[in-house]
Amino acid sequence: MSTSKGSAGTGLVERAGIFARIVLATGGGYAVAALATALLSVTLPLERSEAVTTATLLSFAILAGVVVLVFALHSVPRAAGILFGAILVMGLGLWLAAGPGLFVGGAP
Amino acid sequence: MTPTILLLNLSLCFAALTALCLSLNRHHTEVFQSKPSARRILLLRVLGWTGIGLSLTVAGVAEGWNFGPVQWIGTLTGAAVALVLLLSYRPRLIGQACGATIALAVAVSAMLQFA
Amino acid sequence: MKGSFRQSMAWLHTWAGLVVGWVLFAVFVTGTASYYRADISRWMRPELTKVSPLTHAELPAAAERAVAYLEKHASEARTWFIGLPHGDEPVLDLFWRIRPGAPPGHVILDARTGAEMALRKTMAGDFLYRFHFELHLPPIWGRWIVGICAMIMLVALISGIITHKRIFSDFFTFRRDKAPRRSFLDAHNVTGVLALPYHLMITYTGIVTLSMMYMPWGVTTAYRGDSQAYFSEAGFVTKSRPVANRPAPPAPIGPMVERALATFPERLGRVSIAHHGDAHATVIAAFEEPHGLSHEHPQIAFDGVTGAVLEVVNGGLKPAAKTFSTMVGLHEAHFAGPTLRLLFFLCGVMGSAMVATGLVLWTLARLPKANERPFFGLRLVQALNIASVAGLPAAVATYFLANRLLPPDLAGRSDWEIRAFFAAWIAAALIPLARPHRRAWSEMLGLVAGLCLAVVLADIATVETHPLRRLGAGEALFLWFDGALLAMACLFAVAVRKVARYQAPSRAERSREAPRPSAAVRSSERPAPLHAAPPPLAAAEPERA
Repeated sequence: MSTSKGSAGTGLVERAGIFARIVLATGGGYAVAALATALLSVTLPLERSEAVTTATLLSFAILAGVVVLVFALHSVPRAAGILFGAILVMGLGLWLAAGPGLFVGGAP
Repeated sequence: MTPTILLLNLSLCFAALTALCLSLNRHHTEVFQSKPSARRILLLRVLGWTGIGLSLTVAGVAEGWNFGPVQWIGTLTGAAVALVLLLSYRPRLIGQACGATIALAVAVSAMLQFA
Repeated sequence: MKGSFRQSMAWLHTWAGLVVGWVLFAVFVTGTASYYRADISRWMRPELTKVSPLTHAELPAAAERAVAYLEKHASEARTWFIGLPHGDEPVLDLFWRIRPGAPPGHVILDARTGAEMALRKTMAGDFLYRFHFELHLPPIWGRWIVGICAMIMLVALISGIITHKRIFSDFFTFRRDKAPRRSFLDAHNVTGVLALPYHLMITYTGIVTLSMMYMPWGVTTAYRGDSQAYFSEAGFVTKSRPVANRPAPPAPIGPMVERALATFPERLGRVSIAHHGDAHATVIAAFEEPHGLSHEHPQIAFDGVTGAVLEVVNGGLKPAAKTFSTMVGLHEAHFAGPTLRLLFFLCGVMGSAMVATGLVLWTLARLPKANERPFFGLRLVQALNIASVAGLPAAVATYFLANRLLPPDLAGRSDWEIRAFFAAWIAAALIPLARPHRRAWSEMLGLVAGLCLAVVLADIATVETHPLRRLGAGEALFLWFDGALLAMACLFAVAVRKVARYQAPSRAERSREAPRPSAAVRSSERPAPLHAAPPPLAAAEPERA
């Protein structure tokens, strides 16, 4: 953030942008990481416990990557678009992979 | 984790890092009051990276390839801290310190050889 | 964000580092101290040095005594944990859990008689260890706060690496004689970069140790939330058995301990008994880790009614589970011998220094200009910096001091030690508010040095078996523990001298004379991020490594 040029730089718009990025990075980042963990846990071609462990170990790298991405992108809507797209795709994948088991009660 | 290997690695890492450090203009000037020549830079870097590779090999072979790398990173950090402190408080002593650590490394390896 | 990738990462590094810096400093300091948790515990219970260690053959009978005590005093508890005596702790260390949420019961017994030991009551090293990941808050809260801070730390590390343009050519650079801002930046870089593998490792593995709490969604989907099933399927623990709600006479514990001792060569650390007296009572003998990076305790589960072996867990983890337990093992560093442990400790100290210098840098980069008042945020950060960087070490030293000076039979003694810890911390946070900023730094750092010295004196004065009082006899632990504290005292004394001798930047001098913060208005102008403008000295040099 280069605001050294004066108070005009730290306008309301910019603050709102930063606030939006923080919300996206924390909420969106955790949502992406959590969905990725859940999805990988049921789709990785490994034993069940191994898949869960692998997914969980990776999840924090995914979370950190998303946070860096959200703050690196120039436009907030674009960052939001990417995150929501990822959430949608992974949510759908999870529902297809484990949905019936998750919602009906059979073992996945 | 034998202290002997640790000592060997610490001195190897110190000497290697000193070579790498002296291959940088700023530190070479601090220690020798002159900029290094291009050949010297090359020589120092080759020596430095060789030393670092050697210490990793020593750690891996002596401690096994699971403990070795952990111990190696530890000694690399320890040696780097010692070097930075020496460099900022007594830069003139860098040469002697490097010589001393090389001598120590040779002595320890000789000891391991005959022990 | 606006500006280049590197600029946005510099912004992220600055603010991510600032918001969690104070908590991280506390986590780093108490975590670093926890490398010596066992030694701290032994130092804080000097009475134990008079007890001679038990032999292998005495352990089964000692376990019987523990069960007899627990049957009498903790019959309503679901699970008992019996820490068996060993070299450094030749006593029975008993814990029991009554129900989730309730504080666990705890007592230390004489392993040879089964009677309660006449020890000073103290949490000892466990307080610092638990503070490291729970901050002395209710566990759920503390663990989440520490986890979030660690996650932000990971982000700060990554963005810091991206921000640092000259990571190789500045690798060895520490210009201690330059202006404070420059030498603090160098110190921040040097402590950060030289121990970078450690910082990345310790942050990631720290999150991983509690990952099943932070990221339970894999277990939720693949195991329908049954984490016990996951842990036993992964090979970390033995299978859990549900309570049968039918009473059955328990088998004696002695033969089980004997059998366990004969099975593995590692030290038998703990025996836990779940649902004692129930038909599904289970006894689990957990051993210390065999030599290796990975955190894998061999375990044997016995049927508590028949005494038969139900299950043996011993290594053989699959690749992912092995990676997981190696990460946990690296974080705890139980495998490290004395020298390697010292290197880990050194790295932990460098991590603490990295956080502390980063926090101070934030303020140095934002000192008001000659004709300006310090804005409220600056005053706040300055105050919090002293409160954590000097306040926490002062609190730890006071905790040690309280251990030596409080009367041994004081009621609620271990609580009073912890109260002393927090009282010192609060005092160290409040006093500087009434003092000029630079002088407050010297005073508080000096206070820490004085407190460390006081601990050493109190130790020599109160411990009869101190080697200095017996000309070399007595336990060496006291000698090197006091030596370490003296080294800390010297370190903080040097810091006092540095603060006092620094060529005061004129801007800082003026800010001291500026009006109190209540009168100050928040400055809307912020300085440029420190990393965005390359300092002239570094820029003048054309070389790259």
